[in-house]
Amino acid sequence: MTASKTTSRATLITIIITLLLVALLGWRFYSLGNYTLARATQDFLNALTLGSLYALIALGYTMVYGIIRLINFAHGDIFMLGSYLAFYAMALTPMHWAAALLVTILLGGTVLLVIRALFNLEEPKKTITLALLLFAGTFFLLAFRHMGWIEALLLSMLATGVAGVLLEAVAYRPLRGAPRESMLITAIAASFFLENLGQLLFGPRVRGFNAETILNKPLSFSIGHDTVYFTGILVMVPLITALLLFVLNTFVSRTKLGKAMRATAQDAEVAQMMGVNVNQVIALTFFIGSILAAAAGVMYSIRFGQIHPLMGLMPGIKAFTAAVIGGIGSLPGAVLGGLLLGMIEIYAVSLFPTLSAYRDVFAFVLLILIMLFRPSGLVGEDLTEKV
Amino acid sequence: MRKSFLIAVLLVLGSLAMAQVKIGVNLELSGRFAAIGNQTLNGIKVAHMQMPKVLGQDVQLVICDDETTREGSIACAQRFVNEGVVGVLGAISSSMSIPAAEVLQDAGIIMISTSSTNPQTTQIGKFIFRMAYTDDYQGKLAAAYAVKDLGAKKIAIFRQIDDDYSYGLAGFFNETAKKMGAKTLIQDFVANNVDFTAQLNNIRSFNPDVIYYSGFCAEGAPFMKQLREQGFKQQVLGADASDDPQCPEGAGAAFDGWTFTGFATPNLIPDPAAKKRADAFKKKYFEAIKNAKPGDFNGFVLAGADSYNVLVAAIKAAGSTDINKVRDALANLENYPGVSGNITYKGTDGTPKDRTIGFYKYVVKSASDWKKIELFGKSTAEVQ
Repeated sequence: MTASKTTSRATLITIIITLLLVALLGWRFYSLGNYTLARATQDFLNALTLGSLYALIALGYTMVYGIIRLINFAHGDIFMLGSYLAFYAMALTPMHWAAALLVTILLGGTVLLVIRALFNLEEPKKTITLALLLFAGTFFLLAFRHMGWIEALLLSMLATGVAGVLLEAVAYRPLRGAPRESMLITAIAASFFLENLGQLLFGPRVRGFNAETILNKPLSFSIGHDTVYFTGILVMVPLITALLLFVLNTFVSRTKLGKAMRATAQDAEVAQMMGVNVNQVIALTFFIGSILAAAAGVMYSIRFGQIHPLMGLMPGIKAFTAAVIGGIGSLPGAVLGGLLLGMIEIYAVSLFPTLSAYRDVFAFVLLILIMLFRPSGLVGEDLTEKV
Repeated sequence: MRKSFLIAVLLVLGSLAMAQVKIGVNLELSGRFAAIGNQTLNGIKVAHMQMPKVLGQDVQLVICDDETTREGSIACAQRFVNEGVVGVLGAISSSMSIPAAEVLQDAGIIMISTSSTNPQTTQIGKFIFRMAYTDDYQGKLAAAYAVKDLGAKKIAIFRQIDDDYSYGLAGFFNETAKKMGAKTLIQDFVANNVDFTAQLNNIRSFNPDVIYYSGFCAEGAPFMKQLREQGFKQQVLGADASDDPQCPEGAGAAFDGWTFTGFATPNLIPDPAAKKRADAFKKKYFEAIKNAKPGDFNGFVLAGADSYNVLVAAIKAAGSTDINKVRDALANLENYPGVSGNITYKGTDGTPKDRTIGFYKYVVKSASDWKKIELFGKSTAEVQ
C-alpha cells in the first residue's frame, strides 16, 4: 500500500476509464436513437449507485487479502449476517426490559472483551468508561423505542465486526502456518457454514427489509423535457464509500496500529520479531472488514428491499471481481474496481439492449482481460510471490 | 435351524405389518422458492392427514429439499429411485421439474409435478404428470387480458432468461400479444440479478402501456420497488410465480396493484361441488397448520394436495403398488373429484383437462398489511 505511487496510477487509470466512457457514450448517442441527455444521466446515476455498493463490499475483501493473503470467501456471508442483524434490530425493538437486559449483557460483554483485546485497553479506567457506554447505549437502544435504520446500522456494524473476529479466531487462526490452499478451502467451508446457519436461524424465506427512511423516497429532477429519477440512497452510498475509503486510508497510513498492519502485510514473521502482535493486528483487520461488510449489507438491503440467507452470494462474487480488477490488496483499487464493474453492468445493458441478460458476461470478460494484461489489477502492486 | 426359521417367519410377518407405501416429495423448501415450496408441502401434508392409508397400508412421505437448484432436484430424484418409491410429488417450478422428470422417466417412476407449467415437462415421457395448466394457456389468457381488457398497445416484457418457465411463458405471451396487434419490447435478466435500473432505462423511450413480468419473487420484489422509484406508474401483470407472499413482503407498498394469473382458489372454481370441497379443505388446512397466515393459502397448496390425492386414488384404482399398474390407472383417471376441481388425465399427455386459471390483484399497504383480491376465473377449455 505505497500511497503516492498507487494514487498517481489510480488517477491515470481513472482518466483513461473516463475517456473510454465518454467515447462509448458518444457512440451510443450516435448509433442508437432515443438516447437523450436525461437517459444518459439516469444511466450514470444508476451505475454510480451499483458501483459504490460493489466498492463498499470490495473494501472488506481487499483489506483481509492485503494482510494475510487470504481471499475471505465468507465475506459475502458476513455481509448477509450484517443485514439480518440490522433487520432484527429494527423488527424486535422495543424489547421487553428483561430480554433487552439479557441481550445487552451478552452482546455488550462480547463486544467489550473483543474491543479490549483489539485496541490494547489495559487501563481499568478506560475499560470501565467503555463498558458503561456500551451497556447503557445498547440497553437504551433496545428497550425504549423502535430502532431507526441508523441505530440499527451502527449496532449491526459493531456486532458483525465481533462476529468477524470470532470467525477468524475459530476458522483461520488455527491454520496460520498452513499452506494457503488450506486457508482458502477453510474460507469456502466457513462460507457454506454461515449460509446454512443463516437458513437454520433466520429461515429460508425471503424477508422484506423495509427501513422507513427518507433514503427510499423517490426524487427527481428534469433535464429538458425528460425527468431523471433517483432516491436518497443514491447520494448516500457513494458518500459513505468515499468517507470510509478516506478514514481507512488515514487509519492505515497515519496511526500506529495502521503501521503495524502494513508491517504485518509486508512480512508477518519479521513484524512479530519487531514486537508487533500479529494475532491482534489480523483480528483487527477482520473486525474492520466485517464492519464494512455490515455497512454494505444494510445499504444493499435498503436499496433492494429484501434479505435472504443466500443474499451474500452474488454481491460477494461481484465485489470479489471488483477487488481483483482494481488490484486486490489496494484500498483505492477496490473502490475503482467496484465503480468500474457497476459502470460496465449498466452500460452493457444500455449499449446492447437486446443482450440485457448477459450483463454479467461483460463484467467477467473485463475481469479476464484485466487478468491477462495486468495480473495484479489496475492499481495493484506487482506482487512478487512470497513463499 | 428351527429357531432361524421362526425368526424368518417373524421377520416376514413383521414386514407385512410394517408394509408402507412410500411417496417421494421433491420440493423447493429452501433457496429462492422457499415460501411457495413450503406452502405446497403443507398442502401435501394436510391431504396426507386426511388420507393416511391406502390399500390398508400406511403412506409414508419421503421429503427431499432440492434447495431450488437443478442439481438438488436431480439428487432428490436419484434418492427416490434408490428408496423405491411408487411416485414422486413435485417439483414446483419447471426448471427443477424437468431435470428430475428425466431421471424418474428413465427409472420408470411416476412423477406428478405440482405446478410446473412449461409444456415440455409432461412430454418427457409417459410416467410424468402435472397438476397445473400449461403456459400456452396462461400466456394467451394474460396477453388477451392486457390487450383487450386493459387496452394496451405497447407492452414491455421482462423475462428471466435462465429459467424454463419464465422464458417459455414470456414467449407465449409475446406471441399472442403481437397477434392481437400490440407492440412488444423484451428485456432479459438472470436469477439473483436484482438491479433492474438499466433495463428500466431501456424501456423508458418505448413508453409501454402495460408491463408484463414472467419471473419469480426473489427478483420480482426488487423489480417492482425500482420500477416505482424510477417513476413508472404503469399497470404491471405477473404470472403464477408471483402468487407468493415473498412478493408483497419483499417490495412493500410498491407492490400495490400488481395483477397476476394463477392457480384458481376456491372462490374462482366454477364447479359448485368442487368449490365446496375446496372450502372444506381450506378449513382443514387452517386447523392443521397452526401458524398459517391468511395469505399462505393459495393455489400452490391446492395443487400440492391434489397431486397427493390423485396418486393415492390411482393406487387404489390399480389395487396394488406395482408402478406400471398405478401409472396406467393414473393415465386413465377421469373426473376425479379433487379440491382444485375435477381432474381428468385420460386422453392427455399428463396435463389435466380443463383447469381454471384465476386472475388476482394485490392490495398492499405495507409489507405486513396486504391482501390478494380474486378478480375472476377462466377455464382453459375456453382458450383455443
